[in-house]
Amino acid sequence: MTKGSIEVKVKFGGMMAIALLLMCCFAIATHAAEINVPATVPAGSGLTIPSSGSGSATLYVAGPGTAIKRTVQLGREIRLGADELQNAGRYVVSLDGNTATFFVTAGPVQSIAFLARPSRVPADTPNVITGTAFVFDKYQNLVLQPQPVKFELTANGQTTSRTETTKNGVAFAKLDSSKKQGPAQFVASSGPASVRRVVQEVASDPCSIRMTAVRDKNGILARTDPIHDCAGNPVSDGTIVTFTSTDAKGKSTVDARIRQGIAEAELPASNDATISVASGVVVGNEIQWRGGQ
Amino acid sequence: MKRALPILIIVLTAVLIAMATIQPNELTPATSPDGAVRALFDHVKARDYKGAFAYVANSGDTEEQAFAADLAGRDGSLRTYSSLEQADTKVLHASDNEALVRATLQYATAVGAFYDTRDLKVVREGDRWKVEWPVVQEANVPPQVIQENYLRWDVITRGSNDDWGAQNVEAPRVRIISMNAIAQGANTIIVGEIENEDTVPGFVSVGATLIGKNGDVLGEETSFDKISHTLLPKEISPFRIDFPKTPLATVKSVRMTPNSMLVPASADPVIGVVHQRVETDSRGRHVLKGELINESGVTVNIPHVLATYYDGAGKVIWVSDGYVDNALLPQAPVPFAVDLRDDPASNVHNYRVTVNEYMLQQDE
Amino acid sequence: MISKSPTFSNPTCANPAYAGGPGFPARAIPLSAILLIAIAVHGPLLLMQLPAGSYDANTHMFFAAHYAQHWFNPWNEKWFGGFSQTTYPPLTHQWIALFSHIMGLKFAYMFVQLIAILLLPIGMYRYAALWVDEVSASYAALGSIFLGSLSMLVYQSGQLPTTAAAALTLNAAPFFYDWLLRSRFLDLLKGVAIAWAAAAAHHVTLLFGAILFAVPVLVLALLDRNAEEIEEDRASVGGVLGRAVVFAVIAIAGVAIVLWPFWVALLKNPITQMPIPHGSRDNYILKTFSGINFWIIPMGAMILALPFIVIRGSAERRLRPLLIGWYITALLGLGGTTPAGKILLGRAYQVLTYERFTFWATIMAMPFVGLLALELIQRFRMKAVVGLTIAAVATMAASVAWIEINPIASSPFSVDQVIAFLNRDDHAKFRYITLGFGAHFAEVSTYAKAGSVDGDYNSARLLPEMTAYGAGQLYNAKYYGLAGMESLRAVLKHANQYGLKYVFVRDRYYEPLLAFAGWREAETYDNGNVTLWTKEDVPPAKRLEFVGFTPTPMEGLMWGILPVASSLFALFLVLLVPERRRVSATLEFPVRATVEPVLLREAK
Repeated sequence: MTKGSIEVKVKFGGMMAIALLLMCCFAIATHAAEINVPATVPAGSGLTIPSSGSGSATLYVAGPGTAIKRTVQLGREIRLGADELQNAGRYVVSLDGNTATFFVTAGPVQSIAFLARPSRVPADTPNVITGTAFVFDKYQNLVLQPQPVKFELTANGQTTSRTETTKNGVAFAKLDSSKKQGPAQFVASSGPASVRRVVQEVASDPCSIRMTAVRDKNGILARTDPIHDCAGNPVSDGTIVTFTSTDAKGKSTVDARIRQGIAEAELPASNDATISVASGVVVGNEIQWRGGQ
Repeated sequence: MKRALPILIIVLTAVLIAMATIQPNELTPATSPDGAVRALFDHVKARDYKGAFAYVANSGDTEEQAFAADLAGRDGSLRTYSSLEQADTKVLHASDNEALVRATLQYATAVGAFYDTRDLKVVREGDRWKVEWPVVQEANVPPQVIQENYLRWDVITRGSNDDWGAQNVEAPRVRIISMNAIAQGANTIIVGEIENEDTVPGFVSVGATLIGKNGDVLGEETSFDKISHTLLPKEISPFRIDFPKTPLATVKSVRMTPNSMLVPASADPVIGVVHQRVETDSRGRHVLKGELINESGVTVNIPHVLATYYDGAGKVIWVSDGYVDNALLPQAPVPFAVDLRDDPASNVHNYRVTVNEYMLQQDE
Repeated sequence: MISKSPTFSNPTCANPAYAGGPGFPARAIPLSAILLIAIAVHGPLLLMQLPAGSYDANTHMFFAAHYAQHWFNPWNEKWFGGFSQTTYPPLTHQWIALFSHIMGLKFAYMFVQLIAILLLPIGMYRYAALWVDEVSASYAALGSIFLGSLSMLVYQSGQLPTTAAAALTLNAAPFFYDWLLRSRFLDLLKGVAIAWAAAAAHHVTLLFGAILFAVPVLVLALLDRNAEEIEEDRASVGGVLGRAVVFAVIAIAGVAIVLWPFWVALLKNPITQMPIPHGSRDNYILKTFSGINFWIIPMGAMILALPFIVIRGSAERRLRPLLIGWYITALLGLGGTTPAGKILLGRAYQVLTYERFTFWATIMAMPFVGLLALELIQRFRMKAVVGLTIAAVATMAASVAWIEINPIASSPFSVDQVIAFLNRDDHAKFRYITLGFGAHFAEVSTYAKAGSVDGDYNSARLLPEMTAYGAGQLYNAKYYGLAGMESLRAVLKHANQYGLKYVFVRDRYYEPLLAFAGWREAETYDNGNVTLWTKEDVPPAKRLEFVGFTPTPMEGLMWGILPVASSLFALFLVLLVPERRRVSATLEFPVRATVEPVLLREAK
């Protein structure tokens, strides 16, 4: 084989390859044009896809939580129902070997998932209540477009509110607890959606404890005045208050529970005792008991 | 052989059965002071209280029923969950007609071993020795009405039908307010106190992990029953975690893990601990003694005493505990005593006693 | 399967009065008829799954369930945080496992138990024929079906391996005898093969039962060594003893190989458990209930035959070895009623239970009972037949009724909800224990996916919290006194290390400890019979490593192959390798003077 014949063959092969490539591109271009879909579709709104040609073909639609296979007639409009396009995300349509993609976007805000933490907070404490809201459309798609969310905390008739804009579907707020204890209504709302949570605002540690002691039939009855925290809230019932009496016989202690704001305990009779009171790390007054004096 | 063999078989069988069956009279009179005490407790071990009562001297003063109740327990107390496992006796002093015998008793109970020491007076009655059983005055609670307001907490947790964001009730905040690692021979002991800082009751436990010099884990233990698990708001419980065979010198650090859980609980019962004092008992050991008074109207079946000892700086230096084998009837004082080791005893500046309880009828 | 009875040596058998005499009965009951009766009697009770409520049946099913899923891996993580099943001979469990794939676990157990029951009259027929004539032997075989001791072991104790091993031992004894006298290699092979299978079924039977059965047979062979009519066929004392040694050596060597992983496990973890209280160790006179349960009911109508056993056993030279063997076994079976057990067994006395000795004693007594039955029938004919039938049926009926009247669980309860809880959600990630469940614990562990820290077979325990205290199962902790409760405390103390989150309680005795130790009552089952206690801070269970105690893959392979292979080998030899039968038998003439005069009265 001569050098000239080899060159001719190389040139011929190159031209053939270019021609085949062009034909492929043309074929792909002409077929791709057959599926015409919008770039975005609102969730739950349905979609009509025009088609060309004749005969039947198989339509495939794949998206988040969705997989559709259907035989369709080419040349007619292909209808995807509202119930078939509810989940937001990227969808791929394939028809007779041609493919196209589009996005289903979330609809308007219809519901909120609201996380309020913690469930119990001490009263009169700044930035202690956190609320996190996730906004969803009616198909439970997270609404990624910025949306205003109003956080409203109502306790003892006083309302604090703040509006935050969602970022990637989430809004967040930190609020102060109110001065008075009680259940606080914590509401997050956006558009027609509104969710309520209850945050229990409770008394803090006792601010001071003051007690008195009197003689009774079994010994010494020690009783506190109503116990409050530093904001004036009565300390929760059931809180332990420890009464201690020390005399020559030894030490006597009673872990009493606060009931209706007051704690009381019966200590053994003594003529010379030192009586003290404490709750947690808070210490109250001390009484020097001298035979009932 | 034809005749001898059956006769041999019959005789041998009869002898063998007789050997195993015919036993000395179970109520043989005791001929020595400690023999009387041993015989008494041998019958107690077999739960033969009638047989044991035969060795009691002052049977005129002591009713057999009360004697049996004293040994077998009553009111669902720990003694009712016990069986005498071992009784060792030692004559402390003896004369011709009288002796003092110390009985060291070991019971198997529902919560583990329970030890009791009784110094019993033994007297000679004719040719036999008998035990003067101390007459136990049963607490006589007068008929009365004790007002209760049944303060309790119930918890409704998140249901399966609640929406995703609905918050659950949170576990109570607890905090270890003091902690101290103590070397006791080849053992390491962690003592401390934990407080429920919340406004709701908590069910707490404390775990500890000892980390060695190389960062390896030397041991993991929990407070087990050396803690009051149910803590009401602002209640403080001592805890003690024992690491046997782990010398403190090998420990680089301790990782504490307090756990808390929100639980339904009742504020009752209130148990007063009166006349607490540290004394030295007849064996020369330090004990913390006192009396428990149940100020509520329900019976506490098994009380558990936890004692915390502090040094002059208010630091927890030891925690000891003990079960009480008598039930706490309302308003009736019951004595208790818990051991205090000799080495911390000299440093004890203050102490605090808390009481944990088990009640059979707690759900009613 | 039935070997020829040793006609050359059995003078009782040679007596024409016994062997058909003047009329009634003319011949032995066919073995096939005996087996059909055995199926008719025990079949319905097994179909009703009566043994399922016994003490140990669930334990055996638990072992079998593991083999069904992990044939070659004897390491089972469902008990004790992990233990080796090579600590218990596997044969019956493996057969249950094999059949369970066809008929389910419970029916497979019943089926294997039925096989063991059927092997017993077969073995009895062969064993009794060593001592008495064939007709009496057939009566003995028939009577063995109705043994009260058998019913108690099957329906109350659930001791399938014991019954299977005893039946196999009985089947091995005649081959042992034949080998001693005739020195035929096939007899040796069959004898040792069955002995291996017996050992693979139950080790205690091997250690104690085999000796009690084998020594009288050895003495019998010595007595019978000169009975051959041809002088060169007769055996010498040295020859018999030598062959006995050969048999023993081969049997022991085979058992050592077949159960090799068992011996390895035993050496690594010797049995050092404290005495476990058991009613069979009571003095039956002082403790009447134990006496009824462990002696009166198992013996049944055989008690009436005791004088005959002693008198006839003493009177006939050939029966004396059996009498003495029976007597020693029966003495041991009396438990604490005599000091014989303590004297003969030493420390092992406190480890063993004695209902199995009574079972063996009743088996050894059956040749005498067969003889008595024959004589009664010869004398009283139909009246005797009726009387003996009533006695046999009443013995068995009494034992089954006794079990029903005194069930092992004082108040029956269902564990279905407990199993359902452990199998749902992710509960199997944690370990559990049961307290106060008794034999139902094994049932829970058979069907629950979760593992337990507790277990029902003390010899397999490896956890230090359990081995350090001389106590048995945690579910029975309170019955072991301080040791039991301290062991339970130690395990609960390390609950976090073992992932022990769930405690199912059926005895309120345990509640104080749980409450003080940090468990909380969470759920209630079976109308309040059972409560579930949980501990919240327990992390999921991790695999526990017991270095050096896990069987090697080779041991697993041996364990999966050799025991079952030994039983298949024995089956092959017995069923497919026929014996050379003698076609003639020599009858002694004139009849020996040992015949009882009662027969002469019969002739009048």
